[in-house]
Amino acid sequence: MSTPLTLAGIGETFSEKSGILNIGLEGIMLSGAFFSFITAYYTQNITLGVAGGCLGGIFISLIHGYLSIRMGIDQTISGLALNFLSLGLTSFFFLMAFGKTTELPECPVVEALPIPLLKDIPIIGSALFSQDPFVYGMLIVVIGSYVVLHKTEWGVNIHAIGEHPKAAGAAGIDVNRTRYITALLNGLFGGLAGSYLTLALLGFFMENITSGKGYIALVVVILGRRHPVGVFLAAILVGAAEALQFRLQTMGTGIPSQVFNMFPYVITVLVLFVSIGKNRTPAALGEPYRQG
Amino acid sequence: MSLLSMQNITKSFGGLYANKDVHLTVGKGEIHALLGENGAGKTTLMNILYGIYQADSGSIDINGVAVRIRSPKEAITHKIGMVHQHFMLVSTLTVSQNITLGLREKGYPFTDRKLVDRKIARLCDEYGLKVRPSDVIAAISVGARQRVEIIKLLYHEAELLILDEPTAVLTPHEIDSLFNVLRRLRKNGHAVIIITHRIAEVMSIADRVTVLRDGQNVASLDIEETSSSHLSELMIGRRLETLTRPVTASGPGSETPVRLSAKGISLYGETKKILDNISLDIGRGEILGLAGVDGNGQKELAETLIGIRKSDDGQIILDGKDISHLGVKKRKGLGVAYVPDDRHHDGLILDMDVVSNLMLSTYDQSPFSRKKLLNTKVCREHATKKTLEYRVKSSSVKAQVRCLSGGNQQRLILARELHGYPKLIVACQPTRGLDIGAEAFVHKILLQQKARGVSILLISADLDQIMALSDHIAVIFEGRITGVLKNDGKLELSQIGLKMAGLTGAAA
Amino acid sequence: MRLVREVISFAAILAVTSLAAAVLVIAVGSDITKALNSFFAGIFGSFYSLTEVLVRATPLILAGLGVAVAFQARFFNIGAEGQLYMGAVAATWIGLYLPHLPIILHLTLAMACGFLLGGLWALIPGFLKGQFQISEVINTIMFNYIAINLVGILVRTVMTNPESPLPMSARLPDDLHLPLMAEPTRLHGGLAIALGCSVLVYFFLYKTTWGFEIRSVGVNPRACSCAGISVKKNIVVSSLVSGGLAGLAGSSEILGIHQRLMEGISPEFGYVAIIVALLGKNHPLGVVLAGLGIAALQMGANTMQRRTGVPASISLIIMGLLVVLILGRRYFINPSPNAAA
Repeated sequence: MSTPLTLAGIGETFSEKSGILNIGLEGIMLSGAFFSFITAYYTQNITLGVAGGCLGGIFISLIHGYLSIRMGIDQTISGLALNFLSLGLTSFFFLMAFGKTTELPECPVVEALPIPLLKDIPIIGSALFSQDPFVYGMLIVVIGSYVVLHKTEWGVNIHAIGEHPKAAGAAGIDVNRTRYITALLNGLFGGLAGSYLTLALLGFFMENITSGKGYIALVVVILGRRHPVGVFLAAILVGAAEALQFRLQTMGTGIPSQVFNMFPYVITVLVLFVSIGKNRTPAALGEPYRQG
Repeated sequence: MSLLSMQNITKSFGGLYANKDVHLTVGKGEIHALLGENGAGKTTLMNILYGIYQADSGSIDINGVAVRIRSPKEAITHKIGMVHQHFMLVSTLTVSQNITLGLREKGYPFTDRKLVDRKIARLCDEYGLKVRPSDVIAAISVGARQRVEIIKLLYHEAELLILDEPTAVLTPHEIDSLFNVLRRLRKNGHAVIIITHRIAEVMSIADRVTVLRDGQNVASLDIEETSSSHLSELMIGRRLETLTRPVTASGPGSETPVRLSAKGISLYGETKKILDNISLDIGRGEILGLAGVDGNGQKELAETLIGIRKSDDGQIILDGKDISHLGVKKRKGLGVAYVPDDRHHDGLILDMDVVSNLMLSTYDQSPFSRKKLLNTKVCREHATKKTLEYRVKSSSVKAQVRCLSGGNQQRLILARELHGYPKLIVACQPTRGLDIGAEAFVHKILLQQKARGVSILLISADLDQIMALSDHIAVIFEGRITGVLKNDGKLELSQIGLKMAGLTGAAA
Repeated sequence: MRLVREVISFAAILAVTSLAAAVLVIAVGSDITKALNSFFAGIFGSFYSLTEVLVRATPLILAGLGVAVAFQARFFNIGAEGQLYMGAVAATWIGLYLPHLPIILHLTLAMACGFLLGGLWALIPGFLKGQFQISEVINTIMFNYIAINLVGILVRTVMTNPESPLPMSARLPDDLHLPLMAEPTRLHGGLAIALGCSVLVYFFLYKTTWGFEIRSVGVNPRACSCAGISVKKNIVVSSLVSGGLAGLAGSSEILGIHQRLMEGISPEFGYVAIIVALLGKNHPLGVVLAGLGIAALQMGANTMQRRTGVPASISLIIMGLLVVLILGRRYFINPSPNAAA
């Protein structure tokens, strides 16, 4: 569970760091899940499926980007509207393609890809090095994002745009173009996260398969303080809580799973509360940029 | 051959001239001051030079070659750099990162920070600037931030540096450091243009000065050829014959009871005091004009008197009652009226209608409402009555205030604030942006209120207005009152001008 | 001139939406006439279908009113869903655990507590925004999930029905039911409450000093501060009223339809309510009309799916499209400086 959350969270991190808040993350993931499924189903090729998922996510994120950047529409509302739109479109086309079946159509599923030699390391070998390619990919994305955001000039630019777009513009940075790029990344990784759900975790698609994971990803971004490694750790935390909940359920304790489900949300509220005054939100988050 | 030559620069915005046939010549190794009041056209001229605006007509020559500067990026390629009043720095990044923002340094995209920092250190040595490249902007002082901005220009290899009101945010000590840096720049052959309204600084640092007034050249002089008083006359000089002071009521003598007394008002800002121990008295039926160039604390003083800000020190006493701790609403209830300088943000709700805007102060009083229920009929009738009385021209009282002209918007504000017989009016730049007719109307209203015994604090950068209406004139400079003069018809402009420019002596 | 432009742009939006719907219908391979027929049959086909639309509209109108009030104060209440659930919790609690009171009193108390608990639920993010300027967007979304999970916990523990292993509360007494207005349909008194609330909200917003303050603060908080109107207080008040109305939606669903607390009583009413408020331009009358419209859209789409196979999710697409178009309308009328970018 941490994998899709991390991927989606990192995509959103890029976007928010450049000043665009995308609540439509849920819609991006859903779109990614759907298009990856459809592509994989009809081509029986997982790689193409992944590509399809990425494109599906980018489709939604670029719409959000256009609405926010070019038209200056309120980002919260456009994000919500896109969630509805994405849910509607994916459900619609799914039903259109498969009709109302009781048996969910399946698609090829990614297999674990153990890394030779490393996997034989006792204990951690099977845990760390016998995962499916998505997990490896996610780790690469985490490291790569960290490097880009914190060690390169690109990262400095993104940071500047989200914090003080006028200064960035005065320094010659193309604010809007960079924001489109981060929107693209947002869709790419979000779509990838959605693809993971269908192509790795579940092997099928159904209406509203993401059911709120996109919002949890937003939580992960806040908990992780918009830092790639932080997002990764926060996602692991949330995933661990979920695993704990499963374990407790099978053990038969009377604690309802909802108690654990609540954790990430309650913690987020507390984090928001505690960060009064120590505001690390990009100063220009949510505000459209007007040139000149 | 001079480094920069701007000739016949003309620029207008919406029919109003910001610059008209302006000339400016600056040579290498020269510190050139661009002096003038607000609205004189200094910043517009520099914005044209820096490529933010394009002139309607005129030419710019750099090193004898005619150039077209269409954007700041182009200005930078011509080795022109500008430090704006509001710094263009990203507060969460380091000094070093800000300096190279937008540049592709060695190793791009993995900028070789060590190389950059060495280059910065070299520049620091060369020009006597002290910054630490690894400091985060948010953690350093305002003076240090300004130094970063200057280094940024030097890093971009600027030969001509433009500084917009550089001393506005600095302490006296920091100003000294800045001037040392400027002298170093001059020594190394750079040209520096300082936009300012502070004559003392012009006299102490500039080699040459160009004075602008109402968008036009008044003079270009070497510093040796002029003096403070000369400059202040040039800067402010009015045609004396336009100064007629309609005497409607005899000015208050010393026996006039004091209505408003502000004692020791201080307001602390980020780096220095915004208001420094201000004490003012205004009598009944007296107009106290507060003269001064915009940005010296006037707005903050007004907001403190109204209650939008709470002062850190001092007392405000209205008719014997201490109102220092009361909120805006209570003060309004006691008769304080506010005509803000920023009509669109502070004074009106543009997207609401005339009726609503008129109700803004009084909606919770009878007869406009009773027990929380609005009486919309009364509100509408009131609006109709007031728009007639104050001749607010609008299609209907339900029209959005956004659609009204500036003059009509101001009439609306006056109608609202003067309802209920206020005792004190704080009017901040009340005729800014208004045409002659609207301006005359505002003056008439203020004098009417004065005749009724209302105390008025008239804050204005328009000396004509101050001279025409005030009984006494106080001058504010850098948050301090530099003098209070009686406007007895024998007052000389230069006296006021000097105080506005920070000089308290009669001659300099 | 301005009026003409407004009319044209609205007509254009209608046209684009209809076109999109038509394209989708054709894509599925369905016949447009048949689809339209079944769509309208789903709404107007019978007295029962009409009442079903009204039943659907009731919580949408109530929650929509709540969202509208908040939006008027520029308080982006995305938390109507959670506030709705808390209202449901309160109503169930009062209904189950309070000794028998006269029915009218009991019902009124249940609704009132629904308002209070929903209001409280919104008050926390509202207070955090007013006092500390903490963004309400993420906060209210979080409270949604907390509320939903809270309900899940309650129906499995404290409020669970001792006679059944299923996660739901005991059934409320039969007579503790909002009066049925048109038996044997499900149309219940909640609709009357919703319409009544819309009138009250109209009065509140446009005829009281509170409403005047809230609206002013929403448009220009700075000018309000300069005039002595407390921005902080009004954000908090608006959040309270907003949450309260959404809470009423939840109470209404319990007392009028479900008669017990369980999970899933809201098919995202709280989120759809945001669309209702936006389409209704945050005005009570608009909210009522939009609520009816959206409810009709959803009902019609359901029938259309049943009879012609056109997926009901077309209604979601239309809703999303409408919001985007309406928000974008301002841009097309008056392109921002970014048009050149």
